[in-house]
Amino acid sequence: MILELRGLTKRFGQGEAVLEDVSLRINEGEIFGLIGKSGAGKSTLARCVNYLEEPSGGEVVFAGRELGKLPRGELYEARRSMGMVFQQFNLLMQRSVIGNVCFPMEISGWKRRAARSRALELLETVGLSDKADEYPATLSGGQRQRVAIARAIALSPRILLCDEATSALDPETTRGILALLRELNQRLGITILVITHEMLVVESICHRVAILDHSRVVEVGEVGEVFERPKTDAAKALVAGDGQAERARKIMRAIESYLDNAGLSELSAEEALRRAGIPID
Amino acid sequence: MPASQLIDLLLDGMRETLYMTLWSTALAYLLGLPMGVLMVVSDKEGLRPMRWLNAALGAFINLARSVPFLILLIAVIPLTRAVVGRIVGSTATIVPLTLSAAPFIARLVESSLKEVDAGVVQAARSMGATPTQIIWKVLLAEARPSLLLGAAIAVTTILGYSAMAGFVGGGGLGDIAIRYGYYRYQRDTMLWTVALLVIVVQLFQEAGARAAKGIDRRL
Ligand SMILES: Nc1ncnc2c1ncn2[C@@H]1O[C@H](COP(=O)(O)OP(=O)(O)O)[C@@H](O)[C@H]1O
Ligand SMILES: [Mg+2]
Repeated sequence: MILELRGLTKRFGQGEAVLEDVSLRINEGEIFGLIGKSGAGKSTLARCVNYLEEPSGGEVVFAGRELGKLPRGELYEARRSMGMVFQQFNLLMQRSVIGNVCFPMEISGWKRRAARSRALELLETVGLSDKADEYPATLSGGQRQRVAIARAIALSPRILLCDEATSALDPETTRGILALLRELNQRLGITILVITHEMLVVESICHRVAILDHSRVVEVGEVGEVFERPKTDAAKALVAGDGQAERARKIMRAIESYLDNAGLSELSAEEALRRAGIPID
Repeated sequence: MPASQLIDLLLDGMRETLYMTLWSTALAYLLGLPMGVLMVVSDKEGLRPMRWLNAALGAFINLARSVPFLILLIAVIPLTRAVVGRIVGSTATIVPLTLSAAPFIARLVESSLKEVDAGVVQAARSMGATPTQIIWKVLLAEARPSLLLGAAIAVTTILGYSAMAGFVGGGGLGDIAIRYGYYRYQRDTMLWTVALLVIVVQLFQEAGARAAKGIDRRL
């Protein structure tokens, strides 16, 4: 076990708890998914894991050490063993691609030459060797996220925290990034915590999953198990919600292919339904 | 006044004006930059929230900024005399110019640093960066173009104030404008002086804007 959350609670000021008694155990080498609706508290949980946000109660135990008990200097040290990837990439816009990848090494006192050569290796790993001297502004979303991933794993962290890492990307780019994460997990054995609101992401790369609903973890288990036999209402809603959306998309596609065959290809399914007087919702 | 004499006069004034302006700007940044950084760091969303320090420093900056320059100039005469040894001339003017520009610069710096994306700061924290490292390598580094633009505003503002100081014996182009234009009714001389001031301000502003754009790596 690399990371354990024990009864984690977080409230902002006098407000309601954003996290309520959250306990999780994440094993070394696994890809663990945390799924929940928007506002469930996922990002707050991610930030509590590396103490960017101080929990109001409970404990975070990382690699056998309780983070809340560490003095500042050691906490900074511990964070260097935890990479983090964000939805908005959060690259340094005034630094080149290689400058970004060198950044974590620079702040932990690496020699310039050593940092640069490791950065080039990392860029090769994420498939961006040819972009080393470009600036983030010239890259696509998927490329920026690859730079962010290279940067996050530069110090060989024991765990990689991905908070909605693919949520700003289109489906194809998402697949590429997920494939990269899976490869990093298999090749380097790096533990990954994948935080998302998309079931597809969890289904495609996670081994185990926890469902966060209204500040609480309501279900934890193997991905197949949880999604096939959801026990709680929240899990059922999540699976059904996704199933329904999928069904709706299929119906729309069927209508459109029917319209195509009828020589009405310029008509969208929505428009056809509206003309037939059928309410869509 | 013959043209060659006028040119000499203007060149001298120009030299003095630049001397006052650039020294004052440099010294004012020495004071204002740390104040601006401290405002951002101690903000409630900052790296080390310090409510009282932030409120006190903010109030001090506002207070200092609301003192009219000519009043400040007179109020700091004892200090000027102690530091420079005299109270007229361009070197003496550097003291009130610096003091009046520092809080203004603190606000310019503060607003530049607040433009830096909070997500990027969070990413740096997640990598174990210390607050000092974040100040230097994230806040100041990422805000470079904006800081440079701010510096252009600071220089041109200080230049304007230095001309005002000239009216009370502070030297430089403002001094010439008032002595020849106002006391001796040489309108030509005054117009040339003012034209020169306008040109210098334009040049600084334009150069600053171009440099800021030139170093900015965002599209
Ligand atoms: N710094 C903060 N101050 C106050 N409330 C916050 C703060 N951060 C998050 N929240 C609140 O906590 C709840 C969960 O937010 P978040 O963790 O971002 O959810 P998620 O990532 O699951 O969408 C939201 O209601 C949000 O408004
Ligand atoms: Mg979130």
